[in-house]
Amino acid sequence: MRVLVLVLVVAAAVSVSGRAQDYEDNDFAEFEVFDEEEEVMEDDDDQGSEEPSPRDENDEFSHFHDEEEFIGFDSERPQGARMPKTQEEPKITIANVPLHLRSNWDSFYLEMLMIAGLVVYFINFIVGKSKNQKLANAWFTSHKNLLEQNFALVGDDGKQVPESGGLQKESENVYTLWCSGRTNMEGMLVELKFIKRQDMIGVVSQLIRPSSDQLLVKVHLDEMDSFVFALATKKTAARLSKEMTDISTFCPEKKSADKFGFGSQYVLMNELGEVASTVLGDPKVTAVLNKFSGMVDFLHFSDQYSGPKQPEDTQPTKLPEVRRALVFGFNFPGRGNPSLEAIESMRPLLQLVFHGKAKAEKNRSRVEEAFLKATHAARAEMAQAKREERKRMEREKMLEVSTVVGGMHGGMVCILLSYRSILQ
Amino acid sequence: MQTANHSSDPKRADKITRYKPPAQGTPGAPGEDPTTDYMNVLGMIFSMCGLMMRLKWCAWVALYCSCISFANARVNDDTKQMLSSFMLSISAVVMSYLQNPQPMTPPWSNI
Repeated sequence: MRVLVLVLVVAAAVSVSGRAQDYEDNDFAEFEVFDEEEEVMEDDDDQGSEEPSPRDENDEFSHFHDEEEFIGFDSERPQGARMPKTQEEPKITIANVPLHLRSNWDSFYLEMLMIAGLVVYFINFIVGKSKNQKLANAWFTSHKNLLEQNFALVGDDGKQVPESGGLQKESENVYTLWCSGRTNMEGMLVELKFIKRQDMIGVVSQLIRPSSDQLLVKVHLDEMDSFVFALATKKTAARLSKEMTDISTFCPEKKSADKFGFGSQYVLMNELGEVASTVLGDPKVTAVLNKFSGMVDFLHFSDQYSGPKQPEDTQPTKLPEVRRALVFGFNFPGRGNPSLEAIESMRPLLQLVFHGKAKAEKNRSRVEEAFLKATHAARAEMAQAKREERKRMEREKMLEVSTVVGGMHGGMVCILLSYRSILQ
Repeated sequence: MQTANHSSDPKRADKITRYKPPAQGTPGAPGEDPTTDYMNVLGMIFSMCGLMMRLKWCAWVALYCSCISFANARVNDDTKQMLSSFMLSISAVVMSYLQNPQPMTPPWSNI
């Protein structure tokens, strides 16, 4: 860069000196081309030859500063013979060097901005990461006792013999905990979904659209009545009914949950009316729901739970695997800034999970057979329809194949027949 | 839970089932986040733009993309992919400044 600028400056100086030649052409007499030499020599005679040629060719400007060079220069010049156009120093005009050629650190302001941004991003990454870790640990320590009372295995690290019971980190903002070894259930997966504090995009989007840390509890049951039931806040209800296969299939219509004493914030989606009254009719459940109304995001009980829908471009080849599951979604209190006490206060919610589980067991006896039969019939009908569809497809394929094969077969028969007729 | 506790201990050591993590890529699996993949692809595109078209800001954006993808990655994600995306974007930045050591002109200054 510097070298480039130096070269440019030298080039500019050379051009300026070229202009200086015009003013005092005799200075550079020796450099003139040969045809002009005679002329130049005459000029020299006019002025007298007190100007020696520059001694050093490399040092172009040294003679300007050499006082001996110009002794008697002005006085001996004939007056009026030639007006000294410029007595003073020749005006040096510095060529305009474009701004970006100057090696000035100020001009790299965008780069500095970028690097500063990267540094800030990484600081935020470390801070957010440790904060999420701290929250997860706080949750685990406050719920550890309760979990250990209920489960024979708390935390599964995936090794042959589970060693380090505790939270498993899935990513910087998702932690999971698998608990198993309890009556009536296969296991329970606790998922702590924090805000993406480690990602600055997440932090900024948090400012624009605040969300909160979430706690997802999925209980995989051994057995359960056949019903699909969901109670969710309005926003989540819309998402659930769109994404979840079972809800969108069995209970797409949303009803208000007003009659159970909840505010208008909750929406009910259930397959069987009975279930809602059984689950929500329980004073304990309603008490907890009312007390922690801000924290409970959704309850989703289903015997057809198969997770969110598959993306549409992948054609499902078989019915998705379903399991009996209770899914509880809770929000961490404190709108994205939960305190440790707040986490402590969430413990009743997990107790609600266990209570809900016991409830679900009892429901079996309560829900009427007729309803069950009806839904079984409906479900069987749907399955039948799907089976029929598949059969029809297969039959169509078979038909296609058989027409081709049949055509070939017919041709063979024709040939054989014609052979026979020829032989006869 | 209270009732269950009173009647008997709910724990069953013989009923322990081990956790089967769902296959990667299934929607709804814990920690599943498409951001990483999107950012990876975006970073790749931007680094290519930065390298081929000598757009410095593209190279910088690619570097940011790989940072975001790194921050959102799962713990047991492929580190090689992350590393290669970082390498590509850093090399895009370095190459563009080696070719032309002038400061970056923002994309809006040319308009």
